[in-house]
Amino acid sequence: MIATRAVAPIANLDRVSYRYPAVASLALDDVRWRVPEGAFVVVAGPSGSGKSTLLRCLNGLVPHFSGGELAGRIAVAGEDALVAGPARLSRAVGFVFQDPEAQLLTGRVDDELAFSLEQHGVPPVIMRKRVEEMLDLLGIAHLRDRDPATLSGGERQRVAVAAALALHPRLLVLDEPTSQLDPWGAEDVLTALTRLNEDLGLSIVLAEHRLERVLSHADQLRFIEPNGDVREGPPEAVAREIDPIVLPPVTQLGRALDWSPLPLTIKAGRPFARSLDLTDSPAPPTVEPVGEVAFDVRGLTLAHDTRTVLEAIDLPIHAGELVALMGRNGSGKTTLLRSLMGFHRPQSGRIMLFGRDVTGAEPAEIGRTVGYLPQQPGTILFAERLIDELRFTLKHRPQSRAGIVETLDRLGLTGLAERHPRDLSGGERERAALAAILVGSPRVLLLDEPTRGMDAWRKAALGELLKDLRREGVAVVLATHDVELVARYATRVVLLGDREIVADGPPAEVLAGSLTFSTQVNKLFGGAWLTVDQVLAAAHTVSF
Amino acid sequence: MTLDSRAWLAWAAAIMLPLLLGRNPYMLVALFAIVLAVRAAWSQIAARQFAAWGWFLRLALVVVLISVLFNVLTVHAGETVLVHLSDRLPIIGGALTFNALVFGLLSGLAIFTLVLTGTTVAALLDWSALMRTLPARATPFAVAGSVAWSFLPQSAVAWREIREAQEARGHRIRGPRDLPPLIIPLLAGALERAMTMAESLESRGFGATGTSSQVHGLATALASALAALAAFALASGRLVLGAVAGVIALAGFAFAWRGGTPGVARTRYRTRRWRRADSIMVAGAATSALVTLVRLQTTPAGLHYEPYPVLAAPHVDLVLLFGLALLLAPAFLLPAEVRR
Repeated sequence: MIATRAVAPIANLDRVSYRYPAVASLALDDVRWRVPEGAFVVVAGPSGSGKSTLLRCLNGLVPHFSGGELAGRIAVAGEDALVAGPARLSRAVGFVFQDPEAQLLTGRVDDELAFSLEQHGVPPVIMRKRVEEMLDLLGIAHLRDRDPATLSGGERQRVAVAAALALHPRLLVLDEPTSQLDPWGAEDVLTALTRLNEDLGLSIVLAEHRLERVLSHADQLRFIEPNGDVREGPPEAVAREIDPIVLPPVTQLGRALDWSPLPLTIKAGRPFARSLDLTDSPAPPTVEPVGEVAFDVRGLTLAHDTRTVLEAIDLPIHAGELVALMGRNGSGKTTLLRSLMGFHRPQSGRIMLFGRDVTGAEPAEIGRTVGYLPQQPGTILFAERLIDELRFTLKHRPQSRAGIVETLDRLGLTGLAERHPRDLSGGERERAALAAILVGSPRVLLLDEPTRGMDAWRKAALGELLKDLRREGVAVVLATHDVELVARYATRVVLLGDREIVADGPPAEVLAGSLTFSTQVNKLFGGAWLTVDQVLAAAHTVSF
Repeated sequence: MTLDSRAWLAWAAAIMLPLLLGRNPYMLVALFAIVLAVRAAWSQIAARQFAAWGWFLRLALVVVLISVLFNVLTVHAGETVLVHLSDRLPIIGGALTFNALVFGLLSGLAIFTLVLTGTTVAALLDWSALMRTLPARATPFAVAGSVAWSFLPQSAVAWREIREAQEARGHRIRGPRDLPPLIIPLLAGALERAMTMAESLESRGFGATGTSSQVHGLATALASALAALAAFALASGRLVLGAVAGVIALAGFAFAWRGGTPGVARTRYRTRRWRRADSIMVAGAATSALVTLVRLQTTPAGLHYEPYPVLAAPHVDLVLLFGLALLLAPAFLLPAEVRR
């Protein structure tokens, strides 16, 4: 254990063990945790490691809302959380959830901010002042009379933060608040949090996968290992001990090359990068042969709600390619993906699939050759047993070459065939959905934001799987914001601007030098450097 | 929205009253046209809200078409026979009549207009403002209602996503047996959202003020059961039993209402000012409802219509239609900035 500053804790968990109702295993096992007042604490670890449960102990949702058995003591802001419960603790603890949609309760932004004040009987005069303060603090004053349903994800989460802060709590707890947001929305929310912590001294506990954005602002990192062990302390110290896969690329490099102090930000990594003196370009990736043209899109123009979303798109996609569709929100990535699947009828243009014209064809017909995984893959699961889920797909794909046993095996789901898909863990459920698609042996696979909300381990596993599929001759197309994943696994990047394709080429060409779509490594070294592996390969050949 | 939510509710009630009372074709067409006209006027500022409820209207249309078909196939009354199905066929065997078709269509129009009115008001009224107008003790119910309400449009989006994803897997709906792949994920997703909402409510102090004891909770439960018994008894003609149960239920509610021990009273962020336009709308709705009730007593044929056994021309009640025309008021009460 690494020592932290001795400050009176805002929250103190003492030997807390907890079991959800009707579950045999413990969700929390003898947890001891002190959250110092005024600290910015990041909680990280694989999905299913108990981060959400731990956070819910801080405002009494566990066990007051969830039920189950809890042993130990939880003190938060001077109150016994087990006695007080979430409604009373709401004065001291603000809570922000993952899903920006499900947590907003009213039809207007300023009403949303006033909600908890009204519940606590705050006098109207003070209430008005508080609402104005919160609107300004989170930079959402211009949204005050909007319906939260019309806001972007990032705006909605800032409203949720403002609403959680209206009662002036001493502690703000956020459970993966950016996991459903695009990088820009996430940046907005995290910047706001940093300011609240630094300027107002608000204590913050944040569960987060994107460590690259928060690590430098955190005072403390509590990392839960996949085996359940906990490492806790200043981020730089903890970052030296944990699986590098979760670390920002610059920190991964620092770990591998023994940089000290270990850089947590690009700025901190720059002097080390300069000393490496990587002037040459990285070895170009081996060009792998591509197969026949799978999708051939010609002059595709598509309007949606009277607005032109895609204009004169020409895009051939070959078997054996992994094409990443990138671009800011609203640039048409998802629409293009959905048009390939036949969910949108184009105004003009043609879509050929293995030489056959499928413009305007039914999705079910296109689905005989093409697999489609929506943003929340778990939503397609309905059967009683996982094996029935795969049989359901096979019923409609009698020509499939893939067998149930080998598909389950390939996705690491052997042994779960008889389990109810909804009883699986988050990661298993995503793989189950993918298995239900892959068992139909699609020749093209379309994925919409597949890594949203995924932890680093699951992301890497998905990347490897997609790489294998590509090598087997499947054409893979994914709409994504995840630059690091694209740099590592994509063979081609298609960048959509306003309705049109603005760049199309290998990742080294499209991502290099871009201000918004480049990797941390590229920001450090420039040129065509994109990934940690490239730099490490070069660094080990150069003397250092 | 610029008209008071209570005024919208009064308007909806005045539309629904005649819809529930009779099947006169002139009246039904007039009401349908009124709701359409109000929607058309307000679509300038509420197009998105209306669109969010579009799926519900489509669903209602399907239900209406099924009910028309059901009426034609199962009600073999009326003199104007369209076709005669073999009597050996169970239920649907016998004469299929034009009378049954007309009654089915009129009922369908009434049901659809009811749904159209409901969704129009749902899209236009401001739930949080409405919530604030309720007494503090009713707030828990209002919050629960508003949360439930916001569920429907969200479920519509989820439904579309699930349907598309299953379609891509080759799934097609051919009958009720094909529904589980759509319904189960929809319900599971709705349940997950409901849990998050409930957690969010708790975390933001909902229920922090005022606690009611178990005795008062029990009183509410018993009173609710008695109220249901009273309604059943009254509906089935057992007036004495109904009255006794009703009185005890009311006493139970009163006890529960007075008995809660509020710690701190809830406060209100913003109270909406009642405007002249709201008064006009409520006055129009009240007058219209009054005309409807008076004509029900004096000239019931203006509301009622019976196509069995002989199809006859329906009665036109101009006074009633004039009364209903007052319900067009909201179409002329758009906010000034929109009118310009």
